Amino acid sequence: MPPKGKKNAVAEKPKAGEEERDEPLQAVILTDPFETRFSPFTLEQPRCLLPLVNTPLIEYTFEFLANAGVQEIFVYCGAHREQVEVYISRSKWSSRSSPFSRLEVIQSTARTVGDAMRDLDTRSLLVGDFVLVYGDVVSNLPLESALAAHRERRTKDKNAIMTLVLREAGQNHRTKARGTKPIFVVDPSRDRCLHFEQMPNREGSHFLSLDPDLLSHEEIEIRSDVIDCGIDICTPDVLALWSDNFDFQAPRKDFLHTVLKDYELNGKTIHTYIVEDHYAARVRNLHAYDSVSKDIISRYAYPLCPDTNLLQDQSYQAYRGNIYKEQGVILARSCVIKPKTAIGRATSVGDGTVISRSVIGRHCQIGRDVTIEGAYIWDYASIGDGCTVKQSVIANEATLRKNCTVEAGALISYGVIIGEGKTISGQHRITRAKRKRTDGEELDKGEADVSVVGPGGDGFEFHDSEEEEEEEIVDGLVPPDPNLSLSAQSISTLNSEGDDDSDMAQNLNRPAADSFVSVGSQDSYASQHAANFDHDASASIYDSLEKGHESANIQLELTALRMSTNASDHQVRRSIVLSFVKRIVQLIKSDSSAKSAVDQVFGQHKELLERSIFDKTQAKKVDQVDFMLLLQTELSHRETGDIILLSAATKLVELDIIEEDGITQWWEDAKASDGQEMKAVREKTQQLIDFLNDSSESEDEDDEEEEDSE
Amino acid sequence: MAQGATVVTTPGLTSFLKSLKTTPADPSVDYLIALLKRRQIRSSRPCAIATTALLLRVVGEFKGRDAAKLVQRIRDVGRLLVAAQPREVVVGNIVRRVLGLVREVVDENMDSDTNVTNETEAGSQPEASSPRRPVLSSSISTFSPLHYAVAEPMHSSFQSEATFDSADLSRRPPLTASHTTSLGHSLFGLFSHPETPSASNTPTGQQSPTGKGLTTLNLERLADFNKSNVNVDLKAEVQDGIKELQDELEQSDELIAANALEHIHANEIILTHTASTSVQKFLLAAARKRKFTVVHAETHPLDHTATYGMALTGKKREHTPSDEEETWKPLIAAGIEVYVIPDSHVFAIMSRVNKVILATHTVLANGGLVAASGAAMIAKAAKEHQTPVVVVSGVYKLSPVYPFDIADLIEYGDAGSVVPYDDGDFVDKVDVEAPLFDYVPADLVDLYITNLGGHAPSFLYRIVADHYRTEDITL
Repeated sequence: MPPKGKKNAVAEKPKAGEEERDEPLQAVILTDPFETRFSPFTLEQPRCLLPLVNTPLIEYTFEFLANAGVQEIFVYCGAHREQVEVYISRSKWSSRSSPFSRLEVIQSTARTVGDAMRDLDTRSLLVGDFVLVYGDVVSNLPLESALAAHRERRTKDKNAIMTLVLREAGQNHRTKARGTKPIFVVDPSRDRCLHFEQMPNREGSHFLSLDPDLLSHEEIEIRSDVIDCGIDICTPDVLALWSDNFDFQAPRKDFLHTVLKDYELNGKTIHTYIVEDHYAARVRNLHAYDSVSKDIISRYAYPLCPDTNLLQDQSYQAYRGNIYKEQGVILARSCVIKPKTAIGRATSVGDGTVISRSVIGRHCQIGRDVTIEGAYIWDYASIGDGCTVKQSVIANEATLRKNCTVEAGALISYGVIIGEGKTISGQHRITRAKRKRTDGEELDKGEADVSVVGPGGDGFEFHDSEEEEEEEIVDGLVPPDPNLSLSAQSISTLNSEGDDDSDMAQNLNRPAADSFVSVGSQDSYASQHAANFDHDASASIYDSLEKGHESANIQLELTALRMSTNASDHQVRRSIVLSFVKRIVQLIKSDSSAKSAVDQVFGQHKELLERSIFDKTQAKKVDQVDFMLLLQTELSHRETGDIILLSAATKLVELDIIEEDGITQWWEDAKASDGQEMKAVREKTQQLIDFLNDSSESEDEDDEEEEDSE
Repeated sequence: MAQGATVVTTPGLTSFLKSLKTTPADPSVDYLIALLKRRQIRSSRPCAIATTALLLRVVGEFKGRDAAKLVQRIRDVGRLLVAAQPREVVVGNIVRRVLGLVREVVDENMDSDTNVTNETEAGSQPEASSPRRPVLSSSISTFSPLHYAVAEPMHSSFQSEATFDSADLSRRPPLTASHTTSLGHSLFGLFSHPETPSASNTPTGQQSPTGKGLTTLNLERLADFNKSNVNVDLKAEVQDGIKELQDELEQSDELIAANALEHIHANEIILTHTASTSVQKFLLAAARKRKFTVVHAETHPLDHTATYGMALTGKKREHTPSDEEETWKPLIAAGIEVYVIPDSHVFAIMSRVNKVILATHTVLANGGLVAASGAAMIAKAAKEHQTPVVVVSGVYKLSPVYPFDIADLIEYGDAGSVVPYDDGDFVDKVDVEAPLFDYVPADLVDLYITNLGGHAPSFLYRIVADHYRTEDITL
C-alpha cells in the first residue's frame, strides 16, 4: 500500500546520455560479488582469477563481453585489487589489439554490490546503456538481440530501465542455483518482470506470496525454471535508483525486489529477456563451479571450450570423448584417461593411474596407481602414489603425500601438504592462510594442525569467522543430501479469467511439495502482509517526513497500516526508526548538522513516537529499550552514526519520550554492547549517560544542562 | 530504433573487414585470431576472405625489399592464424598460396635476371634457362575424360588474358601470380569478353611457372633476390597476386556453376545437403535451362535453419546483415521442385536419386573431404545404390593436408544443439557429442567440380602440386 501522491525524486534526475546513441557500449564487471562463496581459496586469490577448466574465470567474462561487442569496460574490484590489475595489464585485453577501447580497473572499499553501484554513480563514468555482469559469467550468448530489444523498449518508454538476461533451464538443472531459488513473475506479452522473490530452498518453503494486484495482468508467468546468469542491461537510471535507496545491498534480493514492488511509486519497469538457446551461467559458488566446468568440458558452452585456447599460450587439443590435452602432457603407458577430462601442459601422470571427469592443471605431478574422479586439481599440485581423490578441489602447489584419500567435497587450498596415508573427509576445508582480523587483505600463515593434515603436513581447518549471515546456504561442491536439494515445482500461468478456479484448484490439489503458488490463500495472506508491513510502513513514513506531513496524518496512516496487517508494536517501532534515521541522514547530507537534523525530525513528530511506546507507567521499560536498540542497530552501520545516536538520545530524553530509566536500562542491556559495531556507535553516547547519572541527583537543572552537554 | 545504424553489432567478417581498413596489421592479426577462436568467422569462404584481406594488409605494411623476410613474416602470421583454429584448413591454404606467390615473384625475377634480354619481351618465357619442368597444369583435365566442354573456351581465353597482362605491365612477365589465379582470371575474361577470339593456342603448361623442383634453388634465390633485383617491386607484385586471389575467391562459385549443365540433366533427381552457396548457385545455373528435382537433406540440428532459409528465400539466415551475404532467388522461384527431408530418410530415397551433390568444408590431398556432418552417411548410401557423388568446391578449399589423423580435422560443436540444455537430467547423465564435420573417404566420391573444371578424386594431388610449393606445406 504505497502512499498516493507520488513525488518522484528519481524521475527528476537528469538522464545523462539519453540522446547519445553513438556512445560506445559500456560494461561494468563486478569481480567481487561480496560474498564468500569460494573460501578458503579467495583468501589468497581474487575470485575472478580462480581457474575454471584451467582458464581464469574473468577470461570467460571478457570473452563474453568481446563477443557482445562491448567497447568500454570498467572492472570493479573488491579484495585483491593488485592481483587483478596485474593480471589484466598483462592479458591480451589491455594489449593494442584488444577489442576494448577502454579498460579500467576501479578499486573501491565497497562491501556490498549496493555500495559499488552507488560509488559508480558518483563517478559518473557511465553515460549510456551499459551491461552489468559479474566477473564469473560464462556465456556464449550474443547480446545483440537483447540489446536491441532493450533499446527499442527504451525509446518507447523511458521508464524501462533494465533488462535481465535469463536462460531457460528446466526444472532440475545442475547449473541452476541451489540454496535459494529465484522466482520471476513475468508478463510474457511485454516481457516485463512483475515480481521477484528469492525462495530459500529449505523444507516447508514451497509457498510464494504474491500481491493480488499482479493478477490484474492479462497473463502472467511464474518461473523458477531459469538460470539467473547475472547479465543485466541497465540504463544510468539504475545507478540513480541505487543511490536513492542507500539501504539496498544485493542486486536481486534488495534492488530488483524493491524496485518491482515500488512500481507504483517510481514507475520504473524492469524487463526480462529469456533465452532458450546459447549458454549462460554464473560461477556463483562451488557447486556452480563444478557444473559449469562440466558444461564447458561437454561443450555445452561451445565455442568456449578448452580447445578454443582462450589464453594465448594455451594449446589444448580435443580428443574423442571430450578429452582435452595440452601439448607436453606426459602420460605413462598404462595410465587410463577416461572421458571428460582436461589435462594441462607439463603434467605427468604415472603408471596405473586412472583419471576420469576431472580437470588437471599445468605442471602437476600425479604418481602411480592414483584414482582421480571428478576432481579439480590446479597448477603445480602433486599427488603422491596410491592416492584417491574424489570430487574435490586441490589448489595450486598443494601436495598430497602417498596413499592419501580425499573424499568428495573436500577443499584443499594453496600450498597445503597432506601427510602420508591421511584421509580427508568431505566437509574439510584446509588452508594455510589466515586472515588478519584488522585488515581483510593481509594474510598470516597459520600453524599447522597435525590432527587434520597428518604428520609432516601443513595447513589447518578453515573457519570462516566472517561468514556472513546470508539466506543462501553456502553450496559445497557436493550437495549435502540429494533428497533435500531438489524439489519439483509446477509452474503456472494464471489467466485473469481463470483466477478463482485455478486458485481453488491449486489449493485443493496442492501436493505439499509440488506447488509453491498460493495466490490469495488464507494462511499466506496474513504472513505476507506482515512481512510487507515493514517495507510499506517505513516507505510511507519516510515519504511523509520528506513532504512534511503532520504527525497526526502519519499516525493515522500508520495505524491503518498496522491494523490491516496485524503488525506488532515492535514492527511499528522499527519502521519508525528506519524512516526517521533515513530522513536524518538525508538531512545531514543536505548540509544540516546532526543536531539540527535530529531536532527537526524528532521534534516535529513527538506524538508519533509517543504513540509507539506504551510502557511509561511500568518499571521495566521494555518498549523504550527496544526502541533505543533499534535506533542503535540502525545507526551502527551508518556514517557518523555515533553522533546521530548521541543527539537522538539526548533529544529523546529531552522530549521525555524515553525516560531516564529507559536510557539506563538500554545502556545496561546486553544487546546494546553486542559486537564491535554496536559498541563503536554508542561510544559517544557515554557522555549522556554520565551526565544523566550525575543529573539524577540534581533533577531540576536537567533541561538546561542537557543542552549544554551537546 | 531510429538510430539503428549505431546499434552495436556482434563482431564478424563484416566488422573485421571494416576495421582492417583502419587498423595496422599486428592488431588486425590478433583481432582475426580472436574472431576465429570465438567462431565469429567460421566456415571456409569467410575464413578465406578474411585471411586474404589480412595478408594483403600484412604485405602492404611490410617494409623493405627482402623476400626472405617477407616469406618469414607471412609464415609467422600464418602459423598464428592456423593455431587459432586448426580446423579451418582454408586459412592455411590461403597462407600457403600467398607464400607461393612471393616465391613465384622471386623466381620470375631471377629468371628474367639471368635472361635480361628476354625481360622486355612479354610473353616469352625463359623456359630453358630454369630447371623448371613444364608443369602439368590443371588444364590436363582437357585430356581427362571427365572434362567436357570447357576445354575449348578456356584455351581461347588465355590469349586475351596474356595480352591484357602484357599490355598492362609490360615490364612484368605475363604470369606472376599463381597459375590458378590466372586461370580463374582468364575464365572470368571468358565471360566478360566472349567475343574476343584468339588465334594462338598457347599450352597452358608453358605459362605456369609453378616450379616444383625448385626447392633448393629457391632458398638461395630468396636470399639474394634483394641484391640482384633492385628494380623489381616485390611488394606490389605480391599485392597484385593477392588481389587476383581475391578475385578467384569471388568468382569461384560462378566458375563452378558454369559446369552445371554438363552434370545436371533434365528430369534428374538431385540430392544435396547443407545450405551451401556453391551448390545453390550450381543448381540455379542448371535450373535456367533444365527442369529437375532437388531433394534437400535438412542437416538437423546444425544447419537446418539455414537450409530452410535457403530453400524458401534463398538467404541463409533472415537476420544476417545483408551487406556481406548476397541474395539470390531460391530454387523454387526458378521452377524447381525442392523437397526437404530429414537426414534419416536419405537412404530410403537414395534409390530414386540420380546424383548426389555435396558441398564441402575442405578437400584433402588424398581426394577425401571434410564436409558438414551427415555427408559421410549420404556418401555411403550413394555408394550402396551406385549413385554418383559429385563434390562442388572452390580450389581454395583444396588443401595439401593429408588426413593421417581424421579426428584432428573434425570439430565437435555445441552439444546443446542435439540435446536441449534445458533437460537437466539428460545433460547431467548423458555424454553428447555433436561433430560438426564428417570425413568422407576418397573412394566414396566420383567427381570433384572446382573452378578449374571436373577432376577425379585420384587426380587431386596434381592440383595440390600445382598450387602449393612443397616447401610451404608445413607452415
